[in-house]
Amino acid sequence: MSTLDRIKSVCVELLKVEAGRVQDSSRFVEDLGADSMQSIELVAAFEEEFDIEMDEDAALGVKTVADAVTFIDRVIAEG
Amino acid sequence: MDIVQEFIEKAQSRPARIVYPEAHDPRILEAAVRVQELDIAKPILVGDIAAIKSLAAEIGIELAGIETIDSRQDARLASYTSAYANKRDMREAIASKLVRKPLSFGGMMVAQGDADGMVAGVATATSIVIQTATLTVGFQQGLSTPSSFFIMIVPRFQKEQDKVFIFADSAVNIQPTAQQLAEIAIASGSNARALLGIEPKIAFLSFSTKGSAAHADADKVLEALEIARGIRPEFHMDGELQLDAAIIPSVAAKKVTESSVAGAANVLIFPDLDAGNIGYKLVQYMAGAKAIGPILQGFAKPVNDMSRGASVDDLVAVSAITSVQAKG
Repeated sequence: MSTLDRIKSVCVELLKVEAGRVQDSSRFVEDLGADSMQSIELVAAFEEEFDIEMDEDAALGVKTVADAVTFIDRVIAEG
Repeated sequence: MDIVQEFIEKAQSRPARIVYPEAHDPRILEAAVRVQELDIAKPILVGDIAAIKSLAAEIGIELAGIETIDSRQDARLASYTSAYANKRDMREAIASKLVRKPLSFGGMMVAQGDADGMVAGVATATSIVIQTATLTVGFQQGLSTPSSFFIMIVPRFQKEQDKVFIFADSAVNIQPTAQQLAEIAIASGSNARALLGIEPKIAFLSFSTKGSAAHADADKVLEALEIARGIRPEFHMDGELQLDAAIIPSVAAKKVTESSVAGAANVLIFPDLDAGNIGYKLVQYMAGAKAIGPILQGFAKPVNDMSRGASVDDLVAVSAITSVQAKG
């Protein structure tokens, strides 16, 4: 699965939204209904899915699914 | 006596266990040593143990007798993870990633009764501290709003010296709803009793006094008062009141009839963060008042947020406040 597909499946699981609602341009808060607390949990869920650790401040600045792909791919690349 | 010294002495009589999840910051280590020496609280440091020891050596302090925990390896990680996953209805694998972070682990220590309170924020954004506390510690019964208050000590007020007020919310909720405003008032009143030992007289402030101006903003304040009376009918509360009607007896006598609060208010509930934040700074800088805070409230157990620029003295003072909040 691509990074994008894995991010989408995390959103479906954690935010309990239908898969069809999660688009590349979807914003976690405005479009997918993540409240501020779920944003913290979303960071943890991405860390679990990709087996990475992210800087929380920086990760919480990521607003859309597409930006999350870029952010996570960079974290993975930096090892 | 200086009010911070009063908190320190009160804390010394019943020291609480306070967890500090930012032990990679030298100020935290220095504060923990001071807190331990003064017997304000039993400090618990969370972080990488080797890094903490190395930092302590580097800044030349001795952490003897201070409990130090690595949240990634602590024996309680499994039970905290399980408790969190159940509460939030998520897979344990995800919960584990969250709970192993020092801030969340500290929150779970408080939630599970392994610590009495938490002090954080010197290296973490306020929003993250509040959100983590909400997720782990949760709220006091009947409340669902995290908020904050300042203790304001006004050097000279109406012939009184060092008059103490509580101002809320001056730091967290930008546009509180009526329900949130009611909860801010309830939490502030509870803190007036628990922390300051004063009987709260709570004024819901507005630009209007008892219907003198008709506007939706004044209606919101009135609605908040009704909600608050439903939650804690035994509290002395009144509104909507202009500031002068709330705190100046002669003005209250002209504008308000039959109120146990008007003219005598000591807990001031501002209608929004514009008013609350500007209000406390006006009193601080133009009246020379001492402002202690913001102190967080609303959580089931005390969690306090520090500014990134906090000094070791600030940390010691807030630790004493946290200890008093926890133990009364």
